[in-house]
Amino acid sequence: MTAAGIDHAPAAAPAAGRRAPAAGARLVWLFLASRRTPAAAWLLAGLGMLMWASLHWHWNIAGGAAARQVIPLTIEAGSAAVIAVSTYGPFGEPERATGRWLPWLRMAAALLLTGAAFGALCAGATAGVLPGGSLALLRNVGGMTGTGLLAAAVLGGAFGWAGPIAYLLVTEVSLSGHPTTPWVWPARPPHDLGGALCASAVFAAGVSAIMLLGARETGRDSPGPLSRWIS
Amino acid sequence: MTAADVQARPAPAVTPRLAPPLSLLRLLWIEVRRSPMPLILPLIAALFWFDSYRPSVGQPPLFILRTFWNMGQGGTIVDFGPLVAGMAAWIGSRDGRRGTTDLVTATAQPRLTSQLASWAAAAIWAVGGYLAFVGALFAVYAYQGVTGEPPWWWVAVGATAVAAFSSAGFAAGVFFPSRFTAPLTAFGGFLVMMLSSQTGFRDLSGWPQILPTNSNGNFQPDSGMLYPYLPDLPVARIMFLAGIGLAALFLLGLPAVAAGRRMRGVAVMMVAAGVAVSAAAVGLASTARLGPHGMVIAALHDAASDRPIRYTPVCGSAAGMPVCLNPAYRADLTTVTAALAPVVRELAGLPGAPHRAKEIGANYDTLDGETGQPMTISGTPPVLSVPLGAENLPGAFGAKDAVFSDQLRLLFLHAFVGAGNNAGTPAQQAVQAVLLQGAGLPIAAQPKLLTSVGLLWIPAEVTGGPTQGPPQATGPVYAAARRLAALPAAARQTWLVSHLAALRSGSLTLAQLP
Repeated sequence: MTAAGIDHAPAAAPAAGRRAPAAGARLVWLFLASRRTPAAAWLLAGLGMLMWASLHWHWNIAGGAAARQVIPLTIEAGSAAVIAVSTYGPFGEPERATGRWLPWLRMAAALLLTGAAFGALCAGATAGVLPGGSLALLRNVGGMTGTGLLAAAVLGGAFGWAGPIAYLLVTEVSLSGHPTTPWVWPARPPHDLGGALCASAVFAAGVSAIMLLGARETGRDSPGPLSRWIS
Repeated sequence: MTAADVQARPAPAVTPRLAPPLSLLRLLWIEVRRSPMPLILPLIAALFWFDSYRPSVGQPPLFILRTFWNMGQGGTIVDFGPLVAGMAAWIGSRDGRRGTTDLVTATAQPRLTSQLASWAAAAIWAVGGYLAFVGALFAVYAYQGVTGEPPWWWVAVGATAVAAFSSAGFAAGVFFPSRFTAPLTAFGGFLVMMLSSQTGFRDLSGWPQILPTNSNGNFQPDSGMLYPYLPDLPVARIMFLAGIGLAALFLLGLPAVAAGRRMRGVAVMMVAAGVAVSAAAVGLASTARLGPHGMVIAALHDAASDRPIRYTPVCGSAAGMPVCLNPAYRADLTTVTAALAPVVRELAGLPGAPHRAKEIGANYDTLDGETGQPMTISGTPPVLSVPLGAENLPGAFGAKDAVFSDQLRLLFLHAFVGAGNNAGTPAQQAVQAVLLQGAGLPIAAQPKLLTSVGLLWIPAEVTGGPTQGPPQATGPVYAAARRLAALPAAARQTWLVSHLAALRSGSLTLAQLP
């Protein structure tokens, strides 16, 4: 059998319109599964429980108000790191060539997981007094997720975690030095406009980068960075 | 030409006995070339500059102060450890992620061998990067004129910690090959370091001394200047971290597919040895006691470490009195002589006034020298001994030049009236207040200064709590001091000459003051 005799598309099945929602849902599910989003959601729930434990048993660092933020911030950065590595899929070029909904799916997955992280950490924060409250939590999670998404777009999806962890290290030192720049938003009060704007800008930039560019594919398991120069 | 003409393959240049090590070296070389660990080093370099170098430059140019955060409190380990652990986890999960575990298991080398080569390459990059960055840090310090000896033992602790992070991360990657392993390992590494800080800040003795971010009582002046850094605690920490690294690494050899029976037996022994070494290190750290030059662990202590460092002092003059300091404190000599000069003038002609001042090593204390340590006057002719390292030098941890000078004057006079290690008798306190006023510090400002050096403790119920402001110069001591200060200078001098011996012996009462 060949395709030589076919000169027009077969008539669409009458039920195609009815199947569209189901196909869309299947597409979304397959996309989320390819990014290990369900596993990420479970991990975020685990981090929420960790937040609960840290506030319930007072794991805070000895010191002033800034020191009390360190453990919650660490957990928020962990959430952002999990979201960042959920941005890349295994299909690469074929997926980009055929998936016209891909940018929207990427954006939706990032927003979904960020919302899940915020919800899980808010639930965990009911165990005690979270420095800055829910508003600061939303700002911090959003901003640090933005650093993770940007790192995924620049360094590669597998290394997106480096963004939030690096930002956490910078913040950890800056907190003790009373920074004035709004780019260290965890050190600002919850209602501070500058901090909120900076965190929002980073989050928007991260979501936009992931949506339009996707996570960079580095092929990092292939020749190492120095193999070109060291023979 | 056909293959029939080709002679038998020539014998290899190396003997078979040498072949296995060479093949391992080749494997290691391939892993070193292909390891992704160098990719993370530029990011770590940026963090290292921001976290470890930048905050330290505000400290006085002494190695022990410049490295207080980045070595004493493990700042460099915090910069390196989590990111190295995350990247090592990514490297360790390579076979699992790519589904090549069975393929690798079937190769000539046991799986454990190839995993060890892969880890070793990652560790070489990570530890090499650590040593290179710390070397650059110390080189910059030296270029800036920082004096004293670098804390090499603490560098060794940091390098061992980086290796331990890499092995723990690598093992996590092998056992849980997932995209989430690397971020969770990095996150876990950072969380562990923060919890270590939390425990370390709270506990001043016992097993928490083993934690690599704990500087309590073990990283103070004058180490590296007047006496060596004691290696006891660093050695225990190196044992602890190496044990963890060893145990984590050889856990890889326990699964049946990892190696043959013999190598797995070796792996079991190495895991047990790692756990035992770490446990022994914790036990040793819990026996640590604070000595004058640092934490002493009796089982590890070498008496040679207690010998003071020989040096040629640098000297200046405070109103004619020679003042000699360790050359590491050369930059502070002018400040010290200027601070002591008014007191020297105030004491001129009084019996027991020192003829010269010399620096002595400050003793370690549980408060990290926050309250200073008393000066002493002894010998014939009298010599003022100044534990300069126990004072907050100008610029150290935000200390101000004027406060430092006032503290030196106070401690000088405190020694002169014979008050010893505590506040002294009421009469000694009153005479000290008068002389201090003569040296330029009004009586009203003195209680705050006394509090800063731990010579005045006022219960919270009296002051109304720490938020109620500094204590007031009131009460019988200050009333007597004001009476004595109101005397003509000549009369006061005469009274002091005749009563100083009784004052120093503690037999003089407040009522006997004029």
